[in-house]
Amino acid sequence: MIEVIKPGLETCIQDWPGRIGYLNQGFPPSGPMDSWSFRLANLLVGNQVGDAAIECQYVGPVLKFHADAIIAVTGANMHPTLDGEAVPLWESIAVSAGATLTLSKPPQAGVRTYVAISGGIDVDPWLNSRSTFAKAKVGGVNGRALRAGDRFKWHAGKGMAGRRVKPSARPPVEGGSPWTIEVVRGPNDDWIDEAGHDRFLSSDWKLSGKSDRTGFRLEGPQWTFTEKAYNKAPEHGSVPSNIVDQGYPIGAINLAGQTPIILVNDGPSMGGFINPYTVPSAAFWKLGQSRPGEIYRFKTVSVDEAQQMARALTVICQEDSIA
Amino acid sequence: MIYDEPRFLLAGDRYLLIEFGNTMLLDLNFLAQGLAKKLEEEPVKGVIETAPCFASMLVHYDPESVSFEYLVAALREVAGSLGSPSNITVPSRLFYLPAMYFDPWTEECVADYCKKIALKEKDPEVVMRANGLSSREELLRVHSGTEYWVASLGFWPGLPFLKALDPRSTLNAPKYNPPRTNTPAGSIGLGGGANSIYPVATPGGYQIFARTPVPIWDPKQRFDVFEHSICLFRPGDRIKFMPCSRQEFEDVERRVEDGSYVFNVVEYGQFSVSQYNAWVASIDAEARF
Repeated sequence: MIEVIKPGLETCIQDWPGRIGYLNQGFPPSGPMDSWSFRLANLLVGNQVGDAAIECQYVGPVLKFHADAIIAVTGANMHPTLDGEAVPLWESIAVSAGATLTLSKPPQAGVRTYVAISGGIDVDPWLNSRSTFAKAKVGGVNGRALRAGDRFKWHAGKGMAGRRVKPSARPPVEGGSPWTIEVVRGPNDDWIDEAGHDRFLSSDWKLSGKSDRTGFRLEGPQWTFTEKAYNKAPEHGSVPSNIVDQGYPIGAINLAGQTPIILVNDGPSMGGFINPYTVPSAAFWKLGQSRPGEIYRFKTVSVDEAQQMARALTVICQEDSIA
Repeated sequence: MIYDEPRFLLAGDRYLLIEFGNTMLLDLNFLAQGLAKKLEEEPVKGVIETAPCFASMLVHYDPESVSFEYLVAALREVAGSLGSPSNITVPSRLFYLPAMYFDPWTEECVADYCKKIALKEKDPEVVMRANGLSSREELLRVHSGTEYWVASLGFWPGLPFLKALDPRSTLNAPKYNPPRTNTPAGSIGLGGGANSIYPVATPGGYQIFARTPVPIWDPKQRFDVFEHSICLFRPGDRIKFMPCSRQEFEDVERRVEDGSYVFNVVEYGQFSVSQYNAWVASIDAEARF
């Protein structure tokens, strides 16, 4: 049993790749924002890479363990301590019954930290996933972020202490701003004129404070459009970026009026704004580790390159990366 | 219009978008829903799930099992094998939903948006002006004077995308710029030519001017209608809004809370695309009630 002493800021339970198969009822996948760090945390403790684990952001929790456990902490450095003693990141560690893990020091760089427990967290799955989707009040612990006093169990595991992720296999979460974020053109790239594309790809975009697990709002220059955005049937809506409602890919750069919003893990599955670009899955960890005020620069890749990046990440999140 | 050939658009490393046309023509929704159904019956390698909407369908696929090019070729073949949607007849449930027009909750939400995000004209007036309607009474009459077609579920769990079936009730409205960060649960909104009901409090971009007290999604499945799905609607259902007073709204709200509310739904209906298209062709679509 784990007992939540202090919850931290919207600490929640996630699994990977999340709640898949309910897109046509409007469910986003949810799941960890930085699935690279997440998968490595599970790998360290002998779990399947997608098993349920804890996602912390900005300010982490204080957790008391009521049984012996093998755990691993990855991602942003919240200077974790076990009963006051510093413990390393990117390494599996043994926790004795009664010990307290503290992650309450905000990271200097990066945002999200993951805590995996050997065996995986045992909360009731909902629609085949344990991922928390707090805005819809489903998944995780009672459909919400952790609160003080929450208690939950984990499954029996086969993890060992002392396993470490090779430094070369760790995401550079402290690389920081400006971040280079890969994008694939489309689906609605033909609504933006060439000047608009050039401006998007050559400008600095600032991540707005009005960002959460549904969307990352960006601040930057104005967008300009092709004829298509103006000469259209009235049911599209009158603003140039309005389109007859359509499915949104996770990662879409969704142009709400003039405000681009990157639709992330808990984002809407459909809507009536154009998506000129899509951030591929392998670049998501950078979104998960960036904070408001930081700068994004976008770089186009082909769909083949984007798929190759995802494949490379899958390879990194395997046993060879463990020393 | 319907394109001669569907367009296959790139959407990152694991999604693609199939566009059948670029309007809210009902036939396009039947093409999208028809393709989704066909893919459920006869799965195509690599397809994980789909999300059909008014005129397009998003496909979530596994790039480890198929390439983009292979999948496009396979989907093009299935899409080409779909017959004309005009021969289709589907069972179609009809839901009657009480709705308070110009309710205090959506008005307060818009006032809050004006205070915190951007000053804008009140939503009912935006819709009136965009459609040449002279009063709120006329807006209520026109908006509630039709059945709405559930074209798809999306944006949020259980949220229906609706098309006014009677062209004389078809309204268009600009979407919020920037979007609202909040919308009261049950708000009824219009953006472009699409109507919707917000299942829970969420961000949103549609003009909002009415609210229903009836829950349209229920993760706890308290009511029998949610026995098979936590979402009230499925594509192909129809909805009729029944204008109600604040007193009726609050009465229904109380009955929803104590579990005694009875959902007003009829299940004997069939919807025929050809009959519908013939009827639309026979009336003056430009007229208003």
